[in-house]
Amino acid sequence: MLEELDFLFSLTVSGLSIGMMYSLIALGFVLVYKATDAINFAQGEFVMLAGFITATSLAAGAPLWLAILIVIAIMIGFSFALERVVLRPLLGRPVVAVIMATIGLAAILRGLPPITIGAQTQTIPLPISDEPVQILTTSLPAVQVLGLVVSALCLAAFTWFFMKSRMGVAMRAVADNQQVAMAMGINVERYFAIAWAMAGIVAALGGIIWGSMLGVDTQLALVGLKVFPVVILGGLDSIIGAVVGGLIIGVVESVAAGYLDPLVGGGTKDFAPYVIMIIALMFKPYGLFGKRKIERI
Amino acid sequence: MTHTRRHRLAFGLAAGALGLASTAALAQEKEIVIGAQCDRTGPTQIVGTVICPAYHHYMALVNKRGGVEGYKIRVVEIDHEYKVPPAIEAHERFKKEGAIMTSAFGTPQLLALLKKFEEDKMPVTSPGIGSSAAADGKKFPWVFPIAATYWSQAGGAVQFAKDRLGGNLKGKKIAYMFFDNPAGREPIPVIEDLAKSEGFQLRTFGVPSPGIEMAAQVLDVTSRFKPDFVIAHLFGRAPAVAIKELKGKGFPLSRVVGLVWAGAEADIIAAGGFGAAEGYNTIQYAGVGDNYKVIKEIKDLLKSEGKSLGKEFESTVTFNRGVYQGAVHVAAIANAIKAKNGGKPNGEDLRKGFESVAALDPTLDGLAPPLKLSAEDHEGGGWVQVWSVKGGKFVKTTDWFQGFRAAVQKHVAEENKK
Amino acid sequence: MFYREAGNFKTTYADDMALFPLPITRWSAVVLLVLAVAVIPLVLHEYYLSIFNLIFIATVGALGLNILVGYTGQISIGHAAFMSVGAYTAANLAVKLGLPFWITLPAGGLMAAFIGAIVGIPSLRIKGTYLAIATLASQLIIEWIINHTPAISGGAAAAIEVARPTIFGYELKSQRDLYFFTLFFAVLAIVATLNLVRSRIGRAFVAIRDQDIAAEIIGINIFRYKLIAFAISSFYAGVCGVLYTYYFGIATYEAFQIVVSIDYLAMVIIGGLGSVLGSVLGAIFVTALPVVIRLVVEAFGGYIWDPAMLSAVSASMRLVIFGALIIFFLVVEPEGLARLWRNLRNYFRVWPFSY
Repeated sequence: MLEELDFLFSLTVSGLSIGMMYSLIALGFVLVYKATDAINFAQGEFVMLAGFITATSLAAGAPLWLAILIVIAIMIGFSFALERVVLRPLLGRPVVAVIMATIGLAAILRGLPPITIGAQTQTIPLPISDEPVQILTTSLPAVQVLGLVVSALCLAAFTWFFMKSRMGVAMRAVADNQQVAMAMGINVERYFAIAWAMAGIVAALGGIIWGSMLGVDTQLALVGLKVFPVVILGGLDSIIGAVVGGLIIGVVESVAAGYLDPLVGGGTKDFAPYVIMIIALMFKPYGLFGKRKIERI
Repeated sequence: MTHTRRHRLAFGLAAGALGLASTAALAQEKEIVIGAQCDRTGPTQIVGTVICPAYHHYMALVNKRGGVEGYKIRVVEIDHEYKVPPAIEAHERFKKEGAIMTSAFGTPQLLALLKKFEEDKMPVTSPGIGSSAAADGKKFPWVFPIAATYWSQAGGAVQFAKDRLGGNLKGKKIAYMFFDNPAGREPIPVIEDLAKSEGFQLRTFGVPSPGIEMAAQVLDVTSRFKPDFVIAHLFGRAPAVAIKELKGKGFPLSRVVGLVWAGAEADIIAAGGFGAAEGYNTIQYAGVGDNYKVIKEIKDLLKSEGKSLGKEFESTVTFNRGVYQGAVHVAAIANAIKAKNGGKPNGEDLRKGFESVAALDPTLDGLAPPLKLSAEDHEGGGWVQVWSVKGGKFVKTTDWFQGFRAAVQKHVAEENKK
Repeated sequence: MFYREAGNFKTTYADDMALFPLPITRWSAVVLLVLAVAVIPLVLHEYYLSIFNLIFIATVGALGLNILVGYTGQISIGHAAFMSVGAYTAANLAVKLGLPFWITLPAGGLMAAFIGAIVGIPSLRIKGTYLAIATLASQLIIEWIINHTPAISGGAAAAIEVARPTIFGYELKSQRDLYFFTLFFAVLAIVATLNLVRSRIGRAFVAIRDQDIAAEIIGINIFRYKLIAFAISSFYAGVCGVLYTYYFGIATYEAFQIVVSIDYLAMVIIGGLGSVLGSVLGAIFVTALPVVIRLVVEAFGGYIWDPAMLSAVSASMRLVIFGALIIFFLVVEPEGLARLWRNLRNYFRVWPFSY
């Protein structure tokens, strides 16, 4: 019995920590949607790109702090350019157009590494110990603990940004109603660019953390798939939602793998979050924390 | 612009204008064409970006040596991105180019073309992919796995576990972690059978795609089931994650063995490097490392042409599989030409050529298993080797062996009776 | 097409809705059909016919997706899942009951329509992005169910071999035989779609797309028509899946994964949303583009890259160019190839007196 409880506790802890890391990826998605109503299906590829940049600059001999600066700088520049060239012309187009544009972008990003820096697996060695960190009766890999901390910091920083800073408030105004925001003298397009740049920063951090955990090659882009259940559950435009959604999905996956898999012969882990998601859509279509849209003709 | 360049430009323009762009116009009489399906893009690209160049390198070497029985080999490669429709198009293109055999990659693509290979009388090789039942040459006359199938690999893995656990599996526990798709499930019946006959307790743990996170499954393995040995049949990024998690939970990697797609350098690197994966074992159907005569010759050839060695050389596990595959093809082609007294073979001749492959290019030396193909056995014996991570590199742990051959063959026969 | 019209006065609604507004449209359709039936299969090499076959099958699927996305305005990223529903339904019927293709094909379509209608239920409450992700979830859930239900998938390999289609005892097996098979269904699908979108149902779809609340106010039962849209769209997908099954000779869910859904979405967007011609052009574009890119890189790539590198380059370049073209079309010509074609035709219609 005690062993069973221990097992459940371990499952929950590992689920929570991995959920927090999903939140980090989901955060980039939410930031963009919140400000610009654009769905980024290339979030995973953003993370992959950041991972490649970090690994390549480390391999070229840059110290870690410099590599981090480089990747953040490049990701900001990249997101700015992307917003300018691809997404601004798509403003006001149907959702499906933006979705497709980011799918196209994803194809480009996946095609580029093999013809530039090579498709082979690279690593991002972080100066943390290989030894797992002990938490009561269970343990977590050190890199996950780092990921947990980074996610928490990011989420706190962005929450503060949106609640307190002038820029953040302006951005909320833009998200709320573009026309009114424009009338109040807010440069809407500038804030779109800033939103994408913030998504770039988050992707950079995600790339470093997930890249050091999984190794860097095109497979790293797969983390993007994990975003959807998280954001749907939490609400597409809520930062808090990204955290709660991430944690719930992390735990659901973990518990499903621990308790359902033995019953049905495996594989429920990636399935369960989507079932939860469909149920969530039926009862709370705009997620736990999402803003309800009222439609008028 | 040099003369040859201008010539090539003119040709290129002409070919492009015709929408043909094939080199078919240059086809010589003494040429054998092979169609190679590839996956340099798509979910399995980590394999394709190594195995395809390796295959080309080996064929270039063969041509440099003077070809096969006086024939040059020309490889037409088409990348299908692991999608099925492009593979169909590729097959028809190969036929148009005059290919007499196909080197397939990807189980869904192979399945979708099975009928076509039969109708077009074109042998196809499927090392490390596809259905294990295809080892039976009577039932699948045109498909040649030419390397240990998943069933033979599973047999090898159980044999290895048995040897490691003191030669007796009675009362022992083995965990089988598999990628939750048809390929991952394929070995289960064989392992279940062995569990009965060898008396060990088996539990299976599914890892769904994409398998980038499996803390929960590993926890289930290590703290609930507590196995004596783990067999991992994983793909993509999943092997690296499994190694990391098992190690993190304190499970000794020396009691973990991965099947063929869970044991390349990329997996070890992504798992944190050779230091971190110390002790991990892998089942291989071709030798590992670059200490083979053929690899040196390939490198020398590239150097003599003033080319640098590509990144593909860094992954010797996958690279050597490409070379091995090439060597089997060349041996079969040589047999077919000899049987025709120097005449150009067709698909039917080549099938017989494959069925009489017994010896490969001697420069492969230890890289290739003691393969012997026959009209009944298209797998060639199901030989595997175990290589383990030791002291920063892969070290050969066992010589070539056949694990539970009788049990595997029983399954092949049963499956094909259905 | 290549003609100029004059005195085009439509005096009745029936005229306006006619499938062929002018005699010349009918003639050009006849010419195209003769070309497709009598000339192409006799002149071209089997290799090119195989590309046509893939295009024809893709056309059926793209038309279905366009009915949903282009005409009704409901996003679906799960189209391939309905193909696998059709594929496995037909394969099971063909293998277990030995039924011929002219029964299994509609049966596969109907089964897919049924499942599609169920998946469409969330569309009543959610739309846009949320619906897109819900359909993505259905894709994964359907895949999972097929993968884990041996009764559907036919065992651990999740693949069911199917005999080639036969007509009056003649087995269709070469690319040329199958060309007529796929062409027939592609034409059928095109004509059916043209008729559907001119009908009461089609106009209801467009009304829902343009403004669903307004549509409801003028008396369109949104609940019913959204489900009908999902069902019809999935029916096409199911038929497309059955065609693939007969074409491959095997049903395997691994041929209908999420990348395929995305490819079909690319077809309807590049081709043109809400356009039958667009679906066809999109199917052609997405199927033939990789082939064309490869041929071009093979022919000219040697001047930029080391020839030994070419195959690696052409594979990756294909992805890059494909992605870039999608973005290009979205940014520059949102209405897709169908619109480009119309612009071109309008240009020539008044040429050389463009003012």
